[in-house]
Amino acid sequence: MKITVQRSGGIAGLKREWSVQATTPTDKSRWEPLVEACPWDAVPGSGGFRGQPDRFMYSIRAGQRRATLPEQAVTGPWRVLVDKTRAAAEAARNGERGPR
Amino acid sequence: MYCSIVPPYMLRRLAARDEPRLSAVARAAKEALLHVRSIQATRALPLPAVPSGIRQLRPGPPQRTVYDTGASESLPGQVVRKEGEPATGDASADEAYAGLGHTHRLYAEAFGRNSVDGQGLPLDATVHFGKLYDNAFWNGEQMVFGDGDGEIFQRFTRSLSVIGHELAHGVTQHSAGLVYRNQAGAINESMSDVFGALVEQYVARQSAAEASWLIGEGLFTDQVEGSALRSLKAPGTAYDDDVLGKDPQPDSMDSYVRTTADNGGVHINSGIPNRAFYLVASELGGNAWETAGRIWYDTLTGGGLPANATFTRFAKATAASARELFGTESVEHDAVRKAWETVKVKL
Repeated sequence: MKITVQRSGGIAGLKREWSVQATTPTDKSRWEPLVEACPWDAVPGSGGFRGQPDRFMYSIRAGQRRATLPEQAVTGPWRVLVDKTRAAAEAARNGERGPR
Repeated sequence: MYCSIVPPYMLRRLAARDEPRLSAVARAAKEALLHVRSIQATRALPLPAVPSGIRQLRPGPPQRTVYDTGASESLPGQVVRKEGEPATGDASADEAYAGLGHTHRLYAEAFGRNSVDGQGLPLDATVHFGKLYDNAFWNGEQMVFGDGDGEIFQRFTRSLSVIGHELAHGVTQHSAGLVYRNQAGAINESMSDVFGALVEQYVARQSAAEASWLIGEGLFTDQVEGSALRSLKAPGTAYDDDVLGKDPQPDSMDSYVRTTADNGGVHINSGIPNRAFYLVASELGGNAWETAGRIWYDTLTGGGLPANATFTRFAKATAASARELFGTESVEHDAVRKAWETVKVKL
């Protein structure tokens, strides 16, 4: 399963992307619970988060699932998934092995 | 209830007259029109504390408060500096305090505006938001600044244009209320870049020719191949880095970007109205806040710009402002029309 976090917006308007590949059984046992914990079917529309210019927009994909969330909605299990994906992707980029 | 005895359409006709023998008439009509527009703008807002029609006194001093969330995301955080208090020694807090003051001064002195809402709204900023948070934003009530990640970004209070950019979102919220999506959102973003740049220029007393026209200069670490986040003078040239990529801003409608990311590319397509502003300022010369800035400020706050304005609607509104402020045959009106033609927005 591939997990991708895309972040856009912010005052800099930069597009950043972090990905992890959960292929081995160990990877899957680590990542699947994080993915399952997220309320994919109950993604809030951005209507409730008006009036906050220059905040980030997150587009998260895990396998076949997709969610687009304003930064203010990336809390609880979403925040855990995003933070761990970023950390793992950055660690891989820096030459270390696996998620922290 | 305010009623103009001479209807606005008649004032506009009089204001547009160019004959030397009618110059006093035209000038008086323009003044009356500005007053009408400011009343209309006040009427368009929710009920203010001061009844409309009462002439506002000269803007007072700012009322600044700087908070520190201490790396948490719990706003506003602890007070670290109140209005009139001395420097704290924390660079970010002191930069925010100074930047709020400079921005307040530009609006008060150049545009006669009393703070973000025109009614003396207290100016609040939070610094040290989040951990390695690489962003700054306006949350509808206050400004919030992160410390940067130390790899790509330094602390966001380092740039006066960033501070001005965020506060300008407040001004837009309290005036035209441009929707933060697609073209209206790109105009919203452009207004923040324009007035952010003007704060830097005003403080440094730089003319349009002397200014850098960069947003966020000094934010990047030395590891980044780039000078700033954006350039109003040359959109698309601010950075070209192997991690960040290349500055994606278009400089005309020929390279308008259609995307769902970034609320429909509000930070991307803002390059087009940004460049139009630069072209007007550059054509007219002198200080940009006195020329293009006056036109743009009038467009934003005059009550005639809808919240869902497209680039075309916005361009028309700037041309109308230029006509009303300076006359149909003025160099200002010509500069505005030429600028939109150059960036290929049809008037």
